[in-house]
Amino acid sequence: MSKRLSVIVLAAFVLITLAGCSKPPEMEMQAANAAFDAARTAEAEQYVADSYRAAMDSLNAANAMKQEQDAKFALFRSYGKSKALFVKAEAMAKQVGIDAAAEKERVKAQVTELMAQVRTALDAAKTAIDKAPKGKGSKADIEMFKNDHAAAEAGYTDAMNDFNAGKYLVAKSKLEAVNEKAKKIEEDIALATAKKTGKK
Amino acid sequence: MSKYYRSNLLLCSIIGGFLFIVGCQKPPTAALEGAQAALDSAAAAGAVRYALEPYRQAEATLKTGWMELARQNGRLGPFKNYKMADSLLSLAKLQAGDAKRLARTRINDLATRAESERKALFDELLGWREALNGSLVLYKAENYWSAAELGLNICENLLAQKEYDAAIEAVADARQSLKQVGAVLAEEINNQAQMLVQWRNWVQETVSNSRSNGSYALIVDKSAHRAYLIKGGKVTRTYDCELGYNSARQKLFQGDGATPEGKYHVTKARPYGSKYHKALLIDYPNAMDRRRFAENKAKGIISRRAGIGKNIEIHGDGGRNKDWTEGCVALTNEDMKHLMRFVGVGTPVTIVRRCDKWP
Repeated sequence: MSKRLSVIVLAAFVLITLAGCSKPPEMEMQAANAAFDAARTAEAEQYVADSYRAAMDSLNAANAMKQEQDAKFALFRSYGKSKALFVKAEAMAKQVGIDAAAEKERVKAQVTELMAQVRTALDAAKTAIDKAPKGKGSKADIEMFKNDHAAAEAGYTDAMNDFNAGKYLVAKSKLEAVNEKAKKIEEDIALATAKKTGKK
Repeated sequence: MSKYYRSNLLLCSIIGGFLFIVGCQKPPTAALEGAQAALDSAAAAGAVRYALEPYRQAEATLKTGWMELARQNGRLGPFKNYKMADSLLSLAKLQAGDAKRLARTRINDLATRAESERKALFDELLGWREALNGSLVLYKAENYWSAAELGLNICENLLAQKEYDAAIEAVADARQSLKQVGAVLAEEINNQAQMLVQWRNWVQETVSNSRSNGSYALIVDKSAHRAYLIKGGKVTRTYDCELGYNSARQKLFQGDGATPEGKYHVTKARPYGSKYHKALLIDYPNAMDRRRFAENKAKGIISRRAGIGKNIEIHGDGGRNKDWTEGCVALTNEDMKHLMRFVGVGTPVTIVRRCDKWP
């Protein structure tokens, strides 16, 4: 009788031990959280907001699944699904981080291109001012163009500072205004030159 | 059926019924979905940028509620209780709604403020434009005005991008530039107030001499853009005139576009062969001009390489409705023809920036 009871107790112990061996997916959870931290650092919430929210929901679902298993009696715990969800959340977060970096880079490249265009426009405006026909009656206009050009150059520098601070959209708006100003100077000078030539 | 058996059956029925009722509790998945949707909606409304704190709070509450729901899911049927999870998720939904409303309010406030600042800046720019009178009164002031105008354009671009904070910042920068316009003009007015006494004296002396000699003299009031022909101390004719493109200041050096201010006289009359119809050359620079020029050079106000300038005339080809000369006084050809009949070599020509007190 005593021997049989011992066997039963031992069997139950082995069963419980084996069943209880299902370990929570700590490593997967940590990896997913790390991927999320990286995505946040890449400003994913700003650049790919929707994907970021979807990935966040996925991480929450993984955490919820783990929590559900944690709450169960040890014998019935199973972290397989939770583990899979963490792996999925990690993959999503990594992709979100990559997408955010790519989007940021795309905006940066766009502004860089605009910056080069504006630089060219400013230089062209300067050349136009230098070559503008001088004489009585035109000097005041030339001084006005010089003032406009100086203001545009200051605006360009300001936009560069925003660009260097990572404020690409603000820099873009400023550069567009500077571009318009530089082109206007060049157009006005061309118009004045044409008028003068026409007179002669 | 024994009494014992019946009582056991009753007990089992009661426990079974209780377990059935309690075990029937369903997880509040609708509340979870509702909270998630509310949070998504808040994020789309700009809460991450404009109502971050309440947004994060809603996010945290949602997470707590979700975990509580999961915890209850993990419990055995009879012990499940979703009340806490349901409350938390409902709270998360409310908080997300608050975050959304706050974001919208802030965006609206910012947009309204930015637009009103833009409008105010636009009006101020127009006001200063009128003050500067489009005649390049002072290059320095014009320079600041240009910077402010660019600020307005930047503000408009930023508003189109819904970058309200940056737009308001751009207006603030533009206002700083306009302040400089005001400061430059205030300084100019102050200088003019000090000079006014001297200009009055010059006019008084010129008119007195004309009265005592019964002779002709010409007085040019730069601010009025008028030239007055005086005989015997009385104005006999008034001419409209145009000046140097930088007319509202004393001439300091060659090429500054300013018309000189001082007491001069005609040194040469050119009824024919002038580039500008007819011309009367005056004795700029006189002794006072030379002294001022030397002092300014010594003080470093003007470049050491600068020249004092010469060939200041009263000439024709005027009537262009703008200040365009290098520093001369331009009349219409008809007025020039009239003037030449009365003015010749030796006639006093007094040029003042303005004079409000005629003797």
